[in-house]
Amino acid sequence: MHRFLLLAVFFFLSFASWSQKFTLNGYVRDADNGEELLGVTVYVPQLKAGTVTNDYGFYAITLPKGTYEVQFTYVGFDTRTLTIDLSKDVSQNIEMASEASVIQEVVIEEKAIDENVISVQMSKNTLNMNQVRKLPALFGEVDIIKNIQLLPGVVSAGEGTSAFFVRGGSADQNLILIDEAPVYDPSHLFGLFSVFNADVIKDSELYKGGIPARFGGRLSSILDVRTKDGNNKTFGAAGGIGLLASRLAIEAPIVKDKSSFIISGRRSYVDGFLKVAGEDNLVHFYDINAKFNFRHNNKNRFFLAFYAGRDVFNFGDDFAFAWGNKTGTFRWNHLFNERLFLNTSFIASQFDYKLGLDDVSSGFEWTSDLQEMSLKNDLSYSLNEANEITFGYHLTGRRFSPGEITPTSPESLFTTLKQQHMYALDHGIYLSNQQKLTDQLLVDYGVRLSIFQNVGRGNVYLYSDPRENVKIERIDTLYYDKGEVIKSYVNLEPRVSVRYLLGNGQSLKLSYNRMVQNTHLISSGTVPIPFNTWNPSNYYLKPQIADQIAGGYFRNFKDNLYEFSVEAFYKDVQNVTDFADNAQLFFNENLSVEYRQGKAWSYGTEWMVNKTSGKLTGMVSYTWSKSMRKIDGVNKGKEFVANHDRRNVFNAQATYDLNEKWSFGAVFTYSTGRPISLSEGSYEYGSYRPDILSERNGYRLKDFHRLDLSATLNPRKNLSRRWKGQWVFSIYNAYYRKNPFTIYTRALQDEDGNVIDKDKKEARLIYLFPVLPSVTYNFKF
Amino acid sequence: MRTLTIFLFAIVLLAACDEPIELDINQVDPKIVIEGLVTDKPGYQMVKVSRSVGFYTEGKTPRITNAVVTVEDDLGEVVSFTHNPRNHPDSAGIYLPPSGFVGKIGRTYTLHVNADGKDFEATDQLLPVISMDSLKYRVSEFQVEDPREDGKIYELLMYAREPQHEKNFYLFKFYRNDSLTYFNETDIYFSDDELLAENINGATSPVYYGIDDQAVVEVYSMSRVGYVYYSDLFSILNNDGGGMFGPIPASPRTNLSNDAIGFFQVSAINISAVKIE
Repeated sequence: MHRFLLLAVFFFLSFASWSQKFTLNGYVRDADNGEELLGVTVYVPQLKAGTVTNDYGFYAITLPKGTYEVQFTYVGFDTRTLTIDLSKDVSQNIEMASEASVIQEVVIEEKAIDENVISVQMSKNTLNMNQVRKLPALFGEVDIIKNIQLLPGVVSAGEGTSAFFVRGGSADQNLILIDEAPVYDPSHLFGLFSVFNADVIKDSELYKGGIPARFGGRLSSILDVRTKDGNNKTFGAAGGIGLLASRLAIEAPIVKDKSSFIISGRRSYVDGFLKVAGEDNLVHFYDINAKFNFRHNNKNRFFLAFYAGRDVFNFGDDFAFAWGNKTGTFRWNHLFNERLFLNTSFIASQFDYKLGLDDVSSGFEWTSDLQEMSLKNDLSYSLNEANEITFGYHLTGRRFSPGEITPTSPESLFTTLKQQHMYALDHGIYLSNQQKLTDQLLVDYGVRLSIFQNVGRGNVYLYSDPRENVKIERIDTLYYDKGEVIKSYVNLEPRVSVRYLLGNGQSLKLSYNRMVQNTHLISSGTVPIPFNTWNPSNYYLKPQIADQIAGGYFRNFKDNLYEFSVEAFYKDVQNVTDFADNAQLFFNENLSVEYRQGKAWSYGTEWMVNKTSGKLTGMVSYTWSKSMRKIDGVNKGKEFVANHDRRNVFNAQATYDLNEKWSFGAVFTYSTGRPISLSEGSYEYGSYRPDILSERNGYRLKDFHRLDLSATLNPRKNLSRRWKGQWVFSIYNAYYRKNPFTIYTRALQDEDGNVIDKDKKEARLIYLFPVLPSVTYNFKF
Repeated sequence: MRTLTIFLFAIVLLAACDEPIELDINQVDPKIVIEGLVTDKPGYQMVKVSRSVGFYTEGKTPRITNAVVTVEDDLGEVVSFTHNPRNHPDSAGIYLPPSGFVGKIGRTYTLHVNADGKDFEATDQLLPVISMDSLKYRVSEFQVEDPREDGKIYELLMYAREPQHEKNFYLFKFYRNDSLTYFNETDIYFSDDELLAENINGATSPVYYGIDDQAVVEVYSMSRVGYVYYSDLFSILNNDGGGMFGPIPASPRTNLSNDAIGFFQVSAINISAVKIE
């Protein structure tokens, strides 16, 4: 199969060389700091042909001989138009200047229609980091995941969580990447913040549908976060002091215009306050991002990126836990010739958690981790003005260590117990072509072949009834040696996207994608917690498969000033992974008897208006969606509303630049309440009064809505000074809405927590945040 | 280790605000609740039959006093349980066997209950229990610093040998001067032996005692079915209200048939006592 694909590619290559065409290529960069810009539209009006810069800021377009006007358009930047005489291959790097639009609305001449309408890609949202920084943030800590949660088609489980749910998919169906490396748990402080330090983020994109063939491994979305490469023109430093955490980032050229680095750190200091307050319970988190890049020449670029972050909780001197991610990416961008671009990445990612009790008689340490290494080769080939081919090969190896307990003293009542490691190999081979059929019709069609292997060493237990989780009866054990294949799954994932230009800045788009997921989160809660583990597809667990079709209408108004879109989707999932009622998911040697897989389906429509530049920018969106599941062995096999179903969601966010000194931001969010199972009755058992629960998700919490406000002050003291300070004031939950987080029940208690009446129950509503003002000081020098 | 998510939920509770809320819930039909216990110790056998009530119903739940209750062992010997033989007003709905009936280690017992014209059945096995080598006590530094109850600063230290070659499940009950005591009302002290080492050298109690208190610890053996039941019951008693961090709560898995709620537990018991002086 592999060989066949290569042959096909070579066939295309040789075919291409016959025709008399020339290629225009190069990198598009930010004039300020030399950062490559991703997703810049490169458009040739004469031919109605175009392309976008890839994930590395590189573009290549092959055109017949001639002289062309070429437009470069990017949100937040002034459009650039160049005249190119294409009588031979031309390598042209472009620098774009950010829009000087703080004071007045820019009125520009006829501008190329931007990505929203012209790109074949639909169901994709890009966060505008400049705007995000001006929007209100919880505790003043800018967090892109909280902004992702406001996008159409995305819902959150509630406040203070970093989990997000895309088009009815569960939280573990999102592939979260930082510089191409997967992050298995993006949460700090159990989700209050995410691991992404906004200071170093260059670009973040969320793919919800029409997912390109180069991505695979998760069903519902790809969150592709890219960090800055580091200013290769001048030294720069930026940082901030917030209520909860402080940040500092330093970037500088090593050799001007050739190589640079950026290094940044963030650390919370709640523990400092607690220490002063005499508390023994200490909590902190930190993040370190570092990146180094070296431009050997226009044909070879090297990058080295590193991330590490950790949360540490200490309770007194005895009980402690911690978790964290580490990722590393080495990247080589190589231009074989004007048309053939290669990116090779070597990626490592690790997630671990640890729990420990330091005690003589019951001391233990519990550790768990997941390690992943992968090699990615992605190539793009600009065949001619009508065809752009991308293809590649990804190889990933994973090791899952679900848990190991060791006693910390010889007197401890705990014994040493190690759950067996699990190993998986994942091959992904893909080929796709973006083809312009007519001036109106652009199609992107491709396929990804996923070959997954669960390999030894390991034991597979056979049960008399593999779904019986009370009286578990093992009948045999199969032993697999190192590297021996336990189970293979081969899946073909077709991906098709179509764009039809209607004129007047309008287009219609359609897409279909099949996604396959072979890593499964072992959690039956709604919001993943860091102590969850992951399992590969295995002897019992089948790959999850999602088919999604989506269609949409896209229109830009007033020279791209307003972007409008409406999309509808239908997603069908086979083998969605869930767990038996009352499943025991922690440290269970017989975990496979708890697996339940079934059907999930969701559909909905998403409306969005986005204003991208000017004094007032913002986005308004409305989503209606429904998300259901039907799984044998869950909720007695009856279909039920998924935990993260939120029927109606309305979000509005805006920033307004009043003058050079002040700008303001506001976010309003509304959604239907989360489904919940409530207590409908109670009974006596011994001294207990347990609840009788409704069927799964038989009720809903009250609607959720909240308004946040912010004001940013740039003091205009001395413009020539290098030091630039900035104050960001924000108010979270401005009108004090008591948004329900969850409901629990208990025996009636008085205010001191003493039970008044054992035989009378009460229900209690938990809400997380009151009105929360905060202030952050940011600086740059 | 399900306690982990409950622990997390407790952190949320500490950090968040909570207030009473009136639930708008459906009326549901009452169900039959059966709580059965057969052990190897005299005086520790009973079957209680009652009905469930709506969430907002206050007071004790209704008892069923006209059920037919029998227990049969795997040798075919049938024992009839009589409703409240001593006619004690607090014991309505409680059925007792003839005095002298005790369970025997290794036997399997089947409970039959006929109530409201319906038959309910459950089976469980009487497994041996470990014996505690010794029970000691010491001052708990935590309780001295921040006592849960004034003067209750002693914790018990339990010593035992855990047989490593067999699978065991345990349920613990702590008494303070004859009254069953928990650290929290919704606690259940149960364990499997997966993570336990052979030598239990001074495992501490979750309940604290004061000077002159009589401390009694009962260790019950359980089958896996019993362990699963108590584990599920614990989850539902301490759930975070619908699967935010933990699983969505579901009815405990029980050995009772015909949709009855509750459990029929068959255990051997080891009792140790110490007076705090």
